[in-house]
Amino acid sequence: MNPYVLAILLSSLGIGTTLTFASSHWLLAWMGLEISTLAIIPLMAQQHHPRAVEATTKYFLTQATAAAMILFASTTNAWTTGEWNIQEMSNPTALVLITMALALKIGLAPVHYWLPEVLQGLDLTTGLILSTWQKLAPFALIYQISPMMNPTLVIMLGLASTIIGGWGGLNQTQLRKILAYSSIAHLGWMMIVMQYSPNLAILNLILYITMTTATFLTFKNVASTKLSTLTLTWSKTPMMTTMAMMTLLSLGGLPPLTGFMPKWLILQELTKQDLPLTASIMALAALLSLFFYLRMCYAMTLTIAPNTNNNTSTWRQKSSQTTMTLSITTTLALALLPITPAIMALTT
Amino acid sequence: MTPVHFSFSSAFMLGLMGLTFHRTHLLSALLCLEGMMLSLFIALSLWSLQLESTTYATAPMLLLAFSACEAGAGLALLVATTRTHGTDHLQNLNLLQC
Repeated sequence: MNPYVLAILLSSLGIGTTLTFASSHWLLAWMGLEISTLAIIPLMAQQHHPRAVEATTKYFLTQATAAAMILFASTTNAWTTGEWNIQEMSNPTALVLITMALALKIGLAPVHYWLPEVLQGLDLTTGLILSTWQKLAPFALIYQISPMMNPTLVIMLGLASTIIGGWGGLNQTQLRKILAYSSIAHLGWMMIVMQYSPNLAILNLILYITMTTATFLTFKNVASTKLSTLTLTWSKTPMMTTMAMMTLLSLGGLPPLTGFMPKWLILQELTKQDLPLTASIMALAALLSLFFYLRMCYAMTLTIAPNTNNNTSTWRQKSSQTTMTLSITTTLALALLPITPAIMALTT
Repeated sequence: MTPVHFSFSSAFMLGLMGLTFHRTHLLSALLCLEGMMLSLFIALSLWSLQLESTTYATAPMLLLAFSACEAGAGLALLVATTRTHGTDHLQNLNLLQC
């Protein structure tokens, strides 16, 4: 792609999200969402193969529908209460509509069907943008309207997302689809704690973005999109394979790693709010997700694939890809648990 | 609920129903999206007329500009889909399912 066009598209992507962050008026927030949707479409469709175009079309239809529903709900709110401010919505119908529209935008469970298919059609860089940066703007809106949202609806969205996110990933062999279901499950954890402690949800979002960036960049570095090619990574980069295994376990939420922190804090918060049943269901649903992360780890580090290659390839040229972001995010994704008190002091 | 509110709400809901339940052609989906945006345009312009507020007079124009951009992107995708998949039937967009 032409570098000037790429620069314009990337800066519009940034401007769209920033506009949504900065606005207190629904119309401006909607404009920010539209700008970031329109800016990522050429990035998604830049390879002209059928899968990319199909993914782009599906993404466009869902995002345009969600944006129109957001604007419709805020217009309804303005017609009934005369209020355009994001934090002062009061019409219950408009709030339910807007919650569902934002859930459609970030891919929460009853309306998540587009996410695995869209992510499967993209290359890993665009997929990384889609599953990290594009979540920020809708999430900021959810954060702002969270005190007014219908509690039953939020709990249902959270529970359904964690269960379906765990369940759907079980049958997949394509890494991008597995990561899409992992994204759905993590967003479910964020939704469930949204009304009790929004700062914990933000903390979970930040850590999820760190871990998923590390995972996507690892897969991009070894150019693998399937479980079967993942079995060959040990011969290319043994060290990175070990790190990637631990990053995946961190995404699954195992104790000495960063991913355990948000799950621990959220379960503690739910218990404090006297919701032991919800907390148990969430903890059990995390096991479903852990199963497919473990299967990826198993394929990557514990087995030797049945092929002719049985030692590390010493003749391989050094990769020319930059690994600075990868090393920083991997370190953060592995080693943040000991400084949980400091992070809690910073965020809450 | 005033008659105006009822009419633009039902126009929007009809567009949304058409988009979600009648999914034969991509072109008809895009037309439904455009219908939804136009009902929102009516809603915003009548809101600023009813309140007689000049500050909101530009809002419908901004909405129209954005929906035109969106329709342009949609039509570009229609062309791209037709070139890669052969038709604009939404049923043919099934390469990524599994």
